[in-house]
Amino acid sequence: MSPSLLELRDVGKVFGDTVALEPTTIAVEQGSFVAIVGPSGCGKSTLFNVIAGLLSPDSGAVIMNGKAVTGTTGHVGYMLQKDLLVPWRTVQDNITMAARLTRRVNESDRVEARRVAEQYGLGEFLNHYPSALSGGMRQRVAFMRTLVTHQPLLLLDEPFGALDAQTRLEMQQWLLQVWRDTGRTVLFITHDVDESLFLSDRVVVMSPRPGRVVADFVNTLPRPRTVDTLTDATFIELKSRVMHLLHGGAS
Amino acid sequence: MSQPGVAGPASPRGSRSGAGAGRAWFKVARNVGIPLLSIVLLLALWEGIVVVFHVAPYIAPRPRQAILAVTQNWSVLWPLTLGTIRETVYGFVTGAVLGLTLGVIMAKIPVLQRLVYPVLVLSQAVPIIALAAPLVLILGFSVAPKVVIVAWIVFFPVTVNVLDGLSHVDQDLINLARVFGAPRWRTFVQIEIPATTTPMFSGLKIGATYAVTGAIIGELAASDGSSLALYQEHANSNLNTAAVYGTTMLMTVIGISWFLLVVGAEVWATPWQRRSVARRRWRRRA
Repeated sequence: MSPSLLELRDVGKVFGDTVALEPTTIAVEQGSFVAIVGPSGCGKSTLFNVIAGLLSPDSGAVIMNGKAVTGTTGHVGYMLQKDLLVPWRTVQDNITMAARLTRRVNESDRVEARRVAEQYGLGEFLNHYPSALSGGMRQRVAFMRTLVTHQPLLLLDEPFGALDAQTRLEMQQWLLQVWRDTGRTVLFITHDVDESLFLSDRVVVMSPRPGRVVADFVNTLPRPRTVDTLTDATFIELKSRVMHLLHGGAS
Repeated sequence: MSQPGVAGPASPRGSRSGAGAGRAWFKVARNVGIPLLSIVLLLALWEGIVVVFHVAPYIAPRPRQAILAVTQNWSVLWPLTLGTIRETVYGFVTGAVLGLTLGVIMAKIPVLQRLVYPVLVLSQAVPIIALAAPLVLILGFSVAPKVVIVAWIVFFPVTVNVLDGLSHVDQDLINLARVFGAPRWRTFVQIEIPATTTPMFSGLKIGATYAVTGAIIGELAASDGSSLALYQEHANSNLNTAAVYGTTMLMTVIGISWFLLVVGAEVWATPWQRRSVARRRWRRRA
Protein backbone atom coordinates (compact mmCIF):
# COMPACT_ATOMS: atom_id res chain seq x y z
CA MET A 1 0.00 0.00 0.00
CA SER A 2 1.22 3.49 -0.84
CA PRO A 3 1.90 5.84 2.04
CA SER A 4 -0.76 8.34 3.08
CA LEU A 5 -0.53 11.73 1.46
CA LEU A 6 -3.16 13.19 3.76
CA GLU A 7 -4.10 12.11 7.25
CA LEU A 8 -6.90 13.50 9.35
CA ARG A 9 -6.58 12.57 13.01
CA ASP A 10 -9.70 13.07 15.12
CA VAL A 11 -10.55 16.30 13.32
CA GLY A 12 -13.67 17.86 14.81
CA LYS A 13 -15.49 21.18 14.46
CA VAL A 14 -18.32 22.75 16.44
CA PHE A 15 -20.25 25.89 15.46
CA GLY A 16 -22.03 27.20 18.56
CA ASP A 17 -24.35 24.38 19.70
CA THR A 18 -24.09 22.49 16.40
CA VAL A 19 -21.59 19.70 15.96
CA ALA A 20 -20.64 20.31 12.32
CA LEU A 21 -18.12 17.48 12.32
CA GLU A 22 -17.58 14.81 14.95
CA PRO A 23 -13.93 13.82 15.51
CA THR A 24 -13.06 12.17 12.20
CA THR A 25 -10.11 10.10 11.12
CA ILE A 26 -9.42 9.55 7.42
CA ALA A 27 -6.22 8.65 5.57
CA VAL A 28 -5.89 9.35 1.85
CA GLU A 29 -3.35 7.34 -0.13
CA GLN A 30 -0.98 8.94 -2.60
CA GLY A 31 -2.47 8.85 -6.09
CA SER A 32 -5.92 7.66 -5.06
CA PHE A 33 -9.33 9.08 -5.92
CA VAL A 34 -11.48 9.33 -2.81
CA ALA A 35 -15.10 10.45 -2.99
CA ILE A 36 -16.93 11.84 0.00
CA VAL A 37 -20.68 11.51 -0.40
CA GLY A 38 -23.41 12.79 1.85
CA PRO A 39 -26.44 15.07 2.06
CA SER A 40 -26.14 18.76 2.84
CA GLY A 41 -25.29 19.45 6.47
CA CYS A 42 -23.23 16.30 6.85
CA GLY A 43 -20.08 18.31 7.45
CA LYS A 44 -18.37 17.53 4.17
CA SER A 45 -17.74 21.17 3.30
CA THR A 46 -16.56 21.82 6.85
CA LEU A 47 -14.17 18.91 6.42
CA PHE A 48 -12.91 20.43 3.18
CA ASN A 49 -12.38 23.87 4.62
CA VAL A 50 -10.46 22.32 7.52
CA ILE A 51 -8.22 20.39 5.10
CA ALA A 52 -7.69 23.50 2.94
CA GLY A 53 -6.84 25.48 6.07
CA LEU A 54 -9.69 27.98 5.75
CA LEU A 55 -11.10 26.71 9.05
CA SER A 56 -9.21 25.71 12.17
CA PRO A 57 -10.60 22.52 13.71
CA ASP A 58 -11.57 22.51 17.39
CA SER A 59 -9.77 19.23 17.84
CA GLY A 60 -7.39 16.96 15.96
CA ALA A 61 -4.72 17.49 13.34
CA VAL A 62 -4.39 17.70 9.57
CA ILE A 63 -1.21 16.01 8.34
CA MET A 64 0.19 16.28 4.81
CA ASN A 65 3.21 14.15 3.90
CA GLY A 66 3.88 13.57 7.59
CA LYS A 67 3.85 17.28 8.46
CA ALA A 68 1.13 18.95 10.52
CA VAL A 69 -0.53 21.71 8.47
CA THR A 70 -3.57 22.25 10.71
CA GLY A 71 -5.08 25.69 10.19
CA THR A 72 -2.60 26.78 7.51
CA THR A 73 -3.22 27.33 3.80
CA GLY A 74 -1.19 26.85 0.63
CA HIS A 75 -0.86 23.06 0.56
CA VAL A 76 -3.79 21.93 -1.62
CA GLY A 77 -5.38 22.62 -4.98
CA TYR A 78 -9.00 23.64 -4.47
CA MET A 79 -12.04 23.92 -6.67
CA LEU A 80 -15.70 24.62 -5.97
CA GLN A 81 -19.02 24.37 -7.76
CA LYS A 82 -18.62 28.05 -8.60
CA ASP A 83 -15.82 28.35 -11.14
CA LEU A 84 -14.55 31.60 -9.53
CA LEU A 85 -12.89 32.70 -12.75
CA VAL A 86 -12.17 36.42 -12.69
CA PRO A 87 -13.99 38.14 -15.58
CA TRP A 88 -11.20 40.65 -16.23
CA ARG A 89 -8.60 37.99 -17.07
CA THR A 90 -8.35 35.84 -20.17
CA VAL A 91 -8.48 32.04 -19.99
CA GLN A 92 -4.68 31.88 -20.01
CA ASP A 93 -4.37 34.48 -17.25
CA ASN A 94 -7.04 32.73 -15.20
CA ILE A 95 -5.11 29.48 -15.43
CA THR A 96 -1.99 31.21 -14.09
CA MET A 97 -3.96 32.93 -11.30
CA ALA A 98 -2.38 30.97 -8.43
CA ALA A 99 1.09 31.99 -9.57
CA ARG A 100 -0.03 35.60 -9.91
CA LEU A 101 -1.37 35.52 -6.37
CA THR A 102 1.84 34.26 -4.84
CA ARG A 103 4.67 35.61 -6.98
CA ARG A 104 5.48 37.07 -10.38
CA VAL A 105 4.08 35.15 -13.34
CA ASN A 106 6.92 34.07 -15.63
CA GLU A 107 7.17 32.72 -19.14
CA SER A 108 7.21 29.09 -17.99
CA ASP A 109 3.87 29.63 -16.21
CA ARG A 110 2.42 30.91 -19.45
CA VAL A 111 3.93 28.08 -21.46
CA GLU A 112 2.45 25.56 -19.07
CA ALA A 113 -0.96 27.24 -19.13
CA ARG A 114 -0.93 27.08 -22.92
CA ARG A 115 0.21 23.45 -22.91
CA VAL A 116 -2.50 22.34 -20.46
CA ALA A 117 -5.19 24.28 -22.32
CA GLU A 118 -4.15 22.82 -25.65
CA GLN A 119 -3.89 19.30 -24.26
CA TYR A 120 -7.41 19.45 -22.87
CA GLY A 121 -9.20 21.11 -25.73
CA LEU A 122 -9.21 24.79 -24.83
CA GLY A 123 -6.20 25.89 -26.89
CA GLU A 124 -8.31 28.07 -29.15
CA PHE A 125 -9.76 29.94 -26.21
CA LEU A 126 -6.58 31.09 -24.45
CA ASN A 127 -7.25 34.73 -25.23
CA HIS A 128 -10.97 34.60 -24.58
CA TYR A 129 -12.55 36.17 -21.55
CA PRO A 130 -14.52 33.73 -19.33
CA SER A 131 -17.81 35.43 -20.24
CA ALA A 132 -17.46 33.98 -23.75
CA LEU A 133 -17.28 30.37 -22.48
CA SER A 134 -19.96 27.80 -21.68
CA GLY A 135 -20.42 26.48 -18.15
CA GLY A 136 -18.53 23.24 -18.87
CA MET A 137 -15.63 25.10 -20.44
CA ARG A 138 -15.45 27.46 -17.50
CA GLN A 139 -15.27 24.54 -15.07
CA ARG A 140 -12.45 23.03 -17.11
CA VAL A 141 -10.53 26.31 -16.96
CA ALA A 142 -11.10 26.36 -13.19
CA PHE A 143 -9.77 22.81 -13.00
CA MET A 144 -6.69 23.72 -15.06
CA ARG A 145 -6.08 26.62 -12.69
CA THR A 146 -6.13 24.08 -9.85
CA LEU A 147 -3.91 21.66 -11.76
CA VAL A 148 -1.04 24.09 -12.46
CA THR A 149 -0.62 24.84 -8.76
CA HIS A 150 1.32 21.52 -8.72
CA GLN A 151 -0.23 20.60 -5.41
CA PRO A 152 -0.28 16.82 -5.05
CA LEU A 153 -3.73 16.89 -3.41
CA LEU A 154 -6.72 18.31 -5.27
CA LEU A 155 -9.82 19.15 -3.24
CA LEU A 156 -12.88 19.27 -5.47
CA ASP A 157 -16.12 20.37 -3.82
CA GLU A 158 -19.07 19.45 -6.08
CA PRO A 159 -17.21 20.86 -9.08
CA PHE A 160 -19.82 19.67 -11.59
CA GLY A 161 -22.86 20.34 -9.42
CA ALA A 162 -24.12 23.22 -11.53
CA LEU A 163 -23.77 21.50 -14.91
CA ASP A 164 -26.49 19.73 -16.88
CA ALA A 165 -26.47 15.91 -16.87
CA GLN A 166 -24.87 15.49 -20.32
CA THR A 167 -22.08 17.96 -19.69
CA ARG A 168 -21.54 16.50 -16.26
CA LEU A 169 -20.94 13.00 -17.62
CA GLU A 170 -18.47 14.37 -20.15
CA MET A 171 -16.69 16.31 -17.44
CA GLN A 172 -16.50 13.24 -15.20
CA GLN A 173 -14.84 11.22 -17.96
CA TRP A 174 -12.58 14.14 -18.70
CA LEU A 175 -11.60 14.40 -15.03
CA LEU A 176 -10.75 10.67 -14.89
CA GLN A 177 -8.55 11.11 -17.95
CA VAL A 178 -6.69 14.07 -16.42
CA TRP A 179 -6.36 12.23 -13.12
CA ARG A 180 -4.84 9.22 -14.92
CA ASP A 181 -2.48 11.50 -16.91
CA THR A 182 -1.22 13.50 -13.97
CA GLY A 183 -1.18 11.01 -11.09
CA ARG A 184 -2.57 13.51 -8.60
CA THR A 185 -4.50 12.56 -5.50
CA VAL A 186 -8.14 13.66 -5.59
CA LEU A 187 -10.57 14.20 -2.75
CA PHE A 188 -13.95 14.73 -4.34
CA ILE A 189 -17.06 15.93 -2.50
CA THR A 190 -20.49 15.23 -3.91
CA HIS A 191 -24.06 14.55 -2.84
CA ASP A 192 -24.55 12.50 -6.02
CA VAL A 193 -24.13 8.78 -5.27
CA ASP A 194 -23.68 7.86 -8.96
CA GLU A 195 -20.94 10.40 -9.33
CA SER A 196 -19.08 9.20 -6.23
CA LEU A 197 -19.13 5.60 -7.46
CA PHE A 198 -18.31 6.41 -11.07
CA LEU A 199 -15.17 8.35 -10.19
CA SER A 200 -13.60 6.95 -7.05
CA ASP A 201 -11.34 4.20 -5.72
CA ARG A 202 -12.89 4.61 -2.35
CA VAL A 203 -16.14 6.04 -1.03
CA VAL A 204 -16.53 7.77 2.31
CA VAL A 205 -20.19 8.12 3.28
CA MET A 206 -21.13 10.90 5.67
CA SER A 207 -24.32 11.62 7.58
CA PRO A 208 -25.68 14.81 9.18
CA ARG A 209 -26.63 15.91 12.72
CA PRO A 210 -23.95 15.47 13.87
CA GLY A 211 -21.71 15.41 10.79
CA ARG A 212 -19.81 12.13 10.83
CA VAL A 213 -18.43 9.30 8.71
CA VAL A 214 -20.83 6.33 8.65
CA ALA A 215 -19.02 4.14 6.11
CA ASP A 216 -15.69 4.03 4.30
CA PHE A 217 -15.26 1.31 1.69
CA VAL A 218 -13.15 0.40 -1.32
CA ASN A 219 -14.90 0.91 -4.65
CA THR A 220 -14.24 -2.31 -6.56
CA LEU A 221 -15.63 -1.16 -9.91
CA PRO A 222 -13.05 -1.91 -12.62
CA ARG A 223 -11.31 0.85 -14.54
CA PRO A 224 -11.49 2.36 -17.05
CA ARG A 225 -14.99 3.50 -16.25
CA THR A 226 -17.33 4.05 -19.18
CA VAL A 227 -21.00 4.76 -19.70
CA ASP A 228 -21.56 1.01 -19.24
CA THR A 229 -20.20 1.26 -15.71
CA LEU A 230 -23.35 3.11 -14.73
CA THR A 231 -25.52 0.06 -15.47
CA ASP A 232 -23.08 -2.58 -14.22
CA ALA A 233 -24.47 -5.02 -11.60
CA THR A 234 -21.70 -4.17 -9.12
CA PHE A 235 -22.49 -0.48 -9.60
CA ILE A 236 -26.17 -1.05 -8.79
CA GLU A 237 -25.26 -3.13 -5.74
CA LEU A 238 -22.84 -0.50 -4.40
CA LYS A 239 -25.32 2.24 -5.12
CA SER A 240 -28.04 0.43 -3.20
CA ARG A 241 -25.68 0.03 -0.26
CA VAL A 242 -24.81 3.74 -0.19
CA MET A 243 -28.46 4.75 -0.62
CA HIS A 244 -29.42 2.67 2.43
CA LEU A 245 -26.61 4.23 4.43
CA LEU A 246 -27.80 7.70 3.46
CA HIS A 247 -31.53 7.19 3.79
CA GLY A 248 -31.80 4.50 6.49
CA GLY A 249 -33.53 1.14 6.19
CA ALA A 250 -31.95 -2.31 6.02
CA SER A 251 -28.39 -2.42 4.73
CA MET B 1 -11.68 4.01 -23.13
CA SER B 2 -12.39 6.27 -26.04
CA GLN B 3 -11.76 9.94 -25.45
CA PRO B 4 -15.13 11.62 -25.72
CA GLY B 5 -14.44 13.93 -22.83
CA VAL B 6 -11.08 15.23 -23.96
CA ALA B 7 -12.37 17.62 -26.56
CA GLY B 8 -15.40 18.03 -24.34
CA PRO B 9 -18.25 20.46 -24.66
CA ALA B 10 -16.32 23.04 -26.61
CA SER B 11 -18.97 25.32 -27.99
CA PRO B 12 -18.44 28.86 -26.77
CA ARG B 13 -21.40 30.94 -25.78
CA GLY B 14 -22.65 33.23 -28.57
CA SER B 15 -19.58 35.05 -29.82
CA ARG B 16 -19.72 38.82 -29.76
CA SER B 17 -16.66 39.30 -31.91
CA GLY B 18 -18.03 38.15 -35.27
CA ALA B 19 -19.11 41.57 -36.55
CA GLY B 20 -18.06 42.25 -40.12
CA ALA B 21 -17.26 45.69 -41.52
CA GLY B 22 -20.93 46.33 -42.34
CA ARG B 23 -22.07 45.44 -38.84
CA ALA B 24 -19.32 47.58 -37.31
CA TRP B 25 -20.48 50.58 -39.34
CA PHE B 26 -24.04 49.92 -38.25
CA LYS B 27 -22.94 49.81 -34.61
CA VAL B 28 -21.20 53.19 -34.90
CA ALA B 29 -24.28 54.68 -36.55
CA ARG B 30 -26.47 53.29 -33.78
CA ASN B 31 -24.23 54.23 -30.85
CA VAL B 32 -23.19 57.69 -32.06
CA GLY B 33 -25.84 58.64 -34.60
CA ILE B 34 -28.91 58.16 -32.44
CA PRO B 35 -27.60 60.21 -29.46
CA LEU B 36 -26.56 62.97 -31.89
CA LEU B 37 -30.02 62.86 -33.42
CA SER B 38 -31.58 63.41 -29.99
CA ILE B 39 -29.50 66.58 -29.55
CA VAL B 40 -30.53 67.83 -33.00
CA LEU B 41 -34.19 67.13 -32.13
CA LEU B 42 -33.80 69.06 -28.88
CA LEU B 43 -32.40 72.08 -30.75
CA ALA B 44 -35.22 71.80 -33.29
CA LEU B 45 -37.77 71.76 -30.47
CA TRP B 46 -36.18 74.90 -29.02
CA GLU B 47 -36.23 76.59 -32.41
CA GLY B 48 -39.86 75.52 -32.90
CA ILE B 49 -41.04 76.92 -29.57
CA VAL B 50 -39.31 80.27 -30.16
CA VAL B 51 -40.81 80.58 -33.63
CA VAL B 52 -44.34 79.29 -32.94
CA PHE B 53 -44.89 81.25 -29.73
CA HIS B 54 -43.13 84.38 -31.01
CA VAL B 55 -40.80 84.42 -28.00
CA ALA B 56 -39.07 87.78 -27.72
CA PRO B 57 -35.29 87.69 -28.41
CA TYR B 58 -34.50 89.13 -24.95
CA ILE B 59 -36.34 86.18 -23.35
CA ALA B 60 -34.90 83.42 -25.53
CA PRO B 61 -32.86 83.54 -28.73
CA ARG B 62 -32.98 80.94 -31.47
CA PRO B 63 -30.39 78.17 -31.06
CA ARG B 64 -28.42 79.50 -34.03
CA GLN B 65 -28.11 82.95 -32.43
CA ALA B 66 -26.95 81.42 -29.16
CA ILE B 67 -24.30 79.36 -30.97
CA LEU B 68 -23.22 82.41 -32.98
CA ALA B 69 -22.85 84.40 -29.75
CA VAL B 70 -20.28 81.82 -28.71
CA THR B 71 -18.38 81.40 -31.98
CA GLN B 72 -18.18 85.14 -32.68
CA ASN B 73 -16.63 85.78 -29.26
CA TRP B 74 -14.49 82.67 -29.31
CA SER B 75 -11.22 84.54 -28.73
CA VAL B 76 -12.62 85.87 -25.44
CA LEU B 77 -14.46 82.71 -24.47
CA TRP B 78 -11.72 80.18 -25.20
CA PRO B 79 -9.36 81.22 -22.36
CA LEU B 80 -12.34 81.29 -19.97
CA THR B 81 -13.41 77.84 -21.18
CA LEU B 82 -9.88 76.58 -20.62
CA GLY B 83 -10.06 77.97 -17.08
CA THR B 84 -13.31 76.10 -16.37
CA ILE B 85 -11.88 72.92 -17.90
CA ARG B 86 -8.79 73.24 -15.73
CA GLU B 87 -10.85 73.65 -12.55
CA THR B 88 -13.04 70.71 -13.53
CA VAL B 89 -10.13 68.40 -14.32
CA TYR B 90 -8.05 69.31 -11.26
CA GLY B 91 -11.07 69.02 -9.02
CA PHE B 92 -12.23 65.77 -10.59
CA VAL B 93 -8.82 64.11 -10.32
CA THR B 94 -8.42 65.30 -6.73
CA GLY B 95 -11.91 64.07 -5.86
CA ALA B 96 -11.41 60.74 -7.63
CA VAL B 97 -8.11 60.01 -5.87
CA LEU B 98 -9.50 61.14 -2.52
CA GLY B 99 -12.69 59.13 -3.05
CA LEU B 100 -10.84 55.98 -4.02
CA THR B 101 -8.41 56.28 -1.10
CA LEU B 102 -11.18 56.91 1.41
CA GLY B 103 -13.24 54.02 0.03
CA VAL B 104 -10.32 51.60 0.33
CA ILE B 105 -9.30 52.73 3.81
CA MET B 106 -12.86 52.62 5.08
CA ALA B 107 -13.44 49.16 3.62
CA LYS B 108 -10.26 47.83 5.23
CA ILE B 109 -10.70 49.45 8.66
CA PRO B 110 -14.30 48.94 9.84
CA VAL B 111 -13.83 51.16 12.92
CA LEU B 112 -12.77 54.01 10.68
CA GLN B 113 -15.77 53.36 8.47
CA ARG B 114 -18.17 53.90 11.38
CA LEU B 115 -16.24 56.96 12.43
CA VAL B 116 -15.94 58.63 9.03
CA TYR B 117 -19.18 57.68 7.27
CA PRO B 118 -21.41 60.15 9.18
CA VAL B 119 -18.94 62.94 8.42
CA LEU B 120 -19.06 62.09 4.72
CA VAL B 121 -22.86 62.17 4.67
CA LEU B 122 -22.74 65.44 6.58
CA SER B 123 -20.35 66.89 4.02
CA GLN B 124 -22.88 66.24 1.27
CA ALA B 125 -25.76 67.69 3.27
CA VAL B 126 -24.03 71.08 3.36
CA PRO B 127 -25.44 73.20 0.50
CA ILE B 128 -22.52 73.61 -1.86
CA ILE B 129 -23.32 77.26 -2.54
CA ALA B 130 -23.18 78.00 1.18
CA LEU B 131 -19.76 76.40 1.24
CA ALA B 132 -18.32 78.71 -1.39
CA ALA B 133 -18.18 81.84 0.79
CA PRO B 134 -16.06 80.36 3.61
CA LEU B 135 -13.83 78.71 1.00
CA VAL B 136 -13.08 82.12 -0.51
CA LEU B 137 -12.20 83.42 2.94
CA ILE B 138 -9.79 80.54 3.43
CA LEU B 139 -8.36 80.10 -0.07
CA GLY B 140 -8.90 83.48 -1.75
CA PHE B 141 -9.84 83.94 -5.41
CA SER B 142 -7.35 81.48 -6.86
CA VAL B 143 -8.18 78.24 -8.65
CA ALA B 144 -8.06 76.47 -5.28
CA PRO B 145 -11.62 77.08 -4.01
CA LYS B 146 -13.08 75.86 -7.33
CA VAL B 147 -10.95 72.73 -7.22
CA VAL B 148 -12.07 72.08 -3.66
CA ILE B 149 -15.74 72.45 -4.58
CA VAL B 150 -15.44 70.10 -7.54
CA ALA B 151 -13.48 67.55 -5.48
CA TRP B 152 -16.08 67.90 -2.71
CA ILE B 153 -18.82 66.87 -5.15
CA VAL B 154 -16.85 64.16 -6.94
CA PHE B 155 -15.32 62.21 -4.06
CA PHE B 156 -18.59 61.16 -2.44
CA PRO B 157 -20.12 58.92 -5.13
CA VAL B 158 -16.65 57.42 -5.72
CA THR B 159 -16.17 56.59 -2.03
CA VAL B 160 -19.65 55.13 -1.65
CA ASN B 161 -19.35 52.96 -4.76
CA VAL B 162 -15.81 51.76 -4.02
CA LEU B 163 -16.80 50.94 -0.45
CA ASP B 164 -19.83 49.05 -1.71
CA GLY B 165 -17.78 47.27 -4.37
CA LEU B 166 -15.07 46.19 -1.95
CA SER B 167 -17.54 44.86 0.59
CA HIS B 168 -19.27 42.77 -2.08
CA VAL B 169 -16.25 40.96 -3.48
CA ASP B 170 -17.11 37.24 -3.57
CA GLN B 171 -15.86 35.76 -0.29
CA ASP B 172 -15.30 32.41 -2.03
CA LEU B 173 -12.89 34.11 -4.41
CA ILE B 174 -10.97 35.57 -1.48
CA ASN B 175 -10.94 32.14 0.17
CA LEU B 176 -9.64 30.62 -3.06
CA ALA B 177 -6.77 33.09 -3.02
CA ARG B 178 -6.06 32.13 0.60
CA VAL B 179 -6.01 28.43 -0.29
CA PHE B 180 -3.48 29.23 -3.02
CA GLY B 181 -1.35 30.76 -0.26
CA ALA B 182 -1.75 34.37 -1.42
CA PRO B 183 -0.62 37.14 0.92
CA ARG B 184 -3.35 39.64 1.70
CA TRP B 185 -1.84 42.51 -0.29
CA ARG B 186 -1.65 40.38 -3.45
CA THR B 187 -5.27 39.33 -3.01
CA PHE B 188 -6.11 43.00 -2.66
CA VAL B 189 -4.21 44.03 -5.80
CA GLN B 190 -5.16 41.05 -7.97
CA ILE B 191 -8.72 40.36 -6.84
CA GLU B 192 -10.31 43.09 -4.78
CA ILE B 193 -9.20 46.18 -6.71
CA PRO B 194 -10.07 44.82 -10.18
CA ALA B 195 -13.41 43.56 -8.83
CA THR B 196 -14.17 47.15 -7.83
CA THR B 197 -13.51 48.65 -11.27
CA THR B 198 -17.13 48.68 -12.39
CA PRO B 199 -18.63 50.27 -9.23
CA MET B 200 -15.73 52.72 -9.15
CA PHE B 201 -16.56 53.89 -12.67
CA SER B 202 -20.22 54.22 -11.68
CA GLY B 203 -19.08 56.67 -9.00
CA LEU B 204 -16.76 58.47 -11.42
CA LYS B 205 -19.55 58.88 -13.97
CA ILE B 206 -21.89 60.37 -11.37
CA GLY B 207 -19.03 62.66 -10.28
CA ALA B 208 -18.29 63.63 -13.89
CA THR B 209 -21.86 64.82 -14.51
CA TYR B 210 -21.70 67.18 -11.53
CA ALA B 211 -18.07 68.27 -11.81
CA VAL B 212 -18.68 71.23 -14.18
CA THR B 213 -21.60 72.39 -12.05
CA GLY B 214 -19.19 72.53 -9.11
CA ALA B 215 -16.66 74.52 -11.09
CA ILE B 216 -19.29 77.06 -12.17
CA ILE B 217 -20.57 77.45 -8.59
CA GLY B 218 -17.00 78.08 -7.55
CA GLU B 219 -16.55 80.66 -10.31
CA LEU B 220 -19.75 82.46 -9.32
CA ALA B 221 -18.68 82.75 -5.72
CA ALA B 222 -14.95 83.10 -6.02
CA SER B 223 -13.92 84.85 -9.23
CA ASP B 224 -11.96 88.09 -9.11
CA GLY B 225 -12.39 88.95 -12.76
CA SER B 226 -12.43 86.54 -15.65
CA SER B 227 -14.39 83.32 -15.68
CA LEU B 228 -17.12 81.73 -17.72
CA ALA B 229 -19.66 82.23 -14.93
CA LEU B 230 -18.84 85.94 -14.61
CA TYR B 231 -18.92 86.34 -18.39
CA GLN B 232 -22.46 85.03 -18.33
CA GLU B 233 -23.49 87.32 -15.47
CA HIS B 234 -22.03 90.23 -17.37
CA ALA B 235 -23.92 89.27 -20.54
CA ASN B 236 -27.09 88.98 -18.47
CA SER B 237 -26.76 92.46 -17.02
CA ASN B 238 -26.16 93.79 -20.56
CA LEU B 239 -29.37 92.07 -21.75
CA ASN B 240 -27.26 90.05 -24.20
CA THR B 241 -29.64 87.07 -24.08
CA ALA B 242 -28.00 85.19 -26.91
CA ALA B 243 -24.66 85.21 -25.05
CA VAL B 244 -26.38 84.07 -21.82
CA TYR B 245 -27.86 81.07 -23.59
CA GLY B 246 -24.68 80.50 -25.57
CA THR B 247 -22.55 80.39 -22.43
CA THR B 248 -24.95 77.91 -20.85
CA MET B 249 -24.61 75.72 -23.93
CA LEU B 250 -20.84 76.01 -23.76
CA MET B 251 -20.82 74.93 -20.11
CA THR B 252 -23.06 72.00 -20.99
CA VAL B 253 -20.71 70.97 -23.78
CA ILE B 254 -17.80 70.96 -21.30
CA GLY B 255 -19.85 68.79 -18.94
CA ILE B 256 -20.89 66.32 -21.63
CA SER B 257 -17.34 66.11 -23.01
CA TRP B 258 -15.93 65.32 -19.60
CA PHE B 259 -18.58 62.68 -18.98
CA LEU B 260 -17.86 61.08 -22.37
CA LEU B 261 -14.14 61.08 -21.60
CA VAL B 262 -14.79 59.17 -18.38
CA VAL B 263 -17.06 56.73 -20.24
CA GLY B 264 -14.27 56.31 -22.79
CA ALA B 265 -11.80 55.58 -20.01
CA GLU B 266 -14.15 52.93 -18.66
CA VAL B 267 -14.55 51.30 -22.07
CA TRP B 268 -10.77 51.24 -22.43
CA ALA B 269 -10.15 49.92 -18.92
CA THR B 270 -12.78 47.17 -18.92
CA PRO B 271 -12.47 45.39 -22.28
CA TRP B 272 -13.93 42.16 -20.86
CA GLN B 273 -17.37 43.78 -20.62
CA ARG B 274 -17.77 44.09 -24.36
CA ARG B 275 -15.26 41.73 -25.93
CA SER B 276 -15.06 37.97 -25.97
CA VAL B 277 -11.40 37.93 -27.02
CA ALA B 278 -8.66 40.07 -25.45
CA ARG B 279 -6.99 42.84 -27.45
CA ARG B 280 -3.60 41.77 -28.71
CA ARG B 281 -1.54 44.01 -26.46
CA TRP B 282 -3.43 42.85 -23.37
CA ARG B 283 -2.63 39.24 -24.01
CA ARG B 284 0.95 38.76 -22.87
CA ARG B 285 0.55 40.80 -19.73
CA ALA B 286 1.44 38.91 -16.59
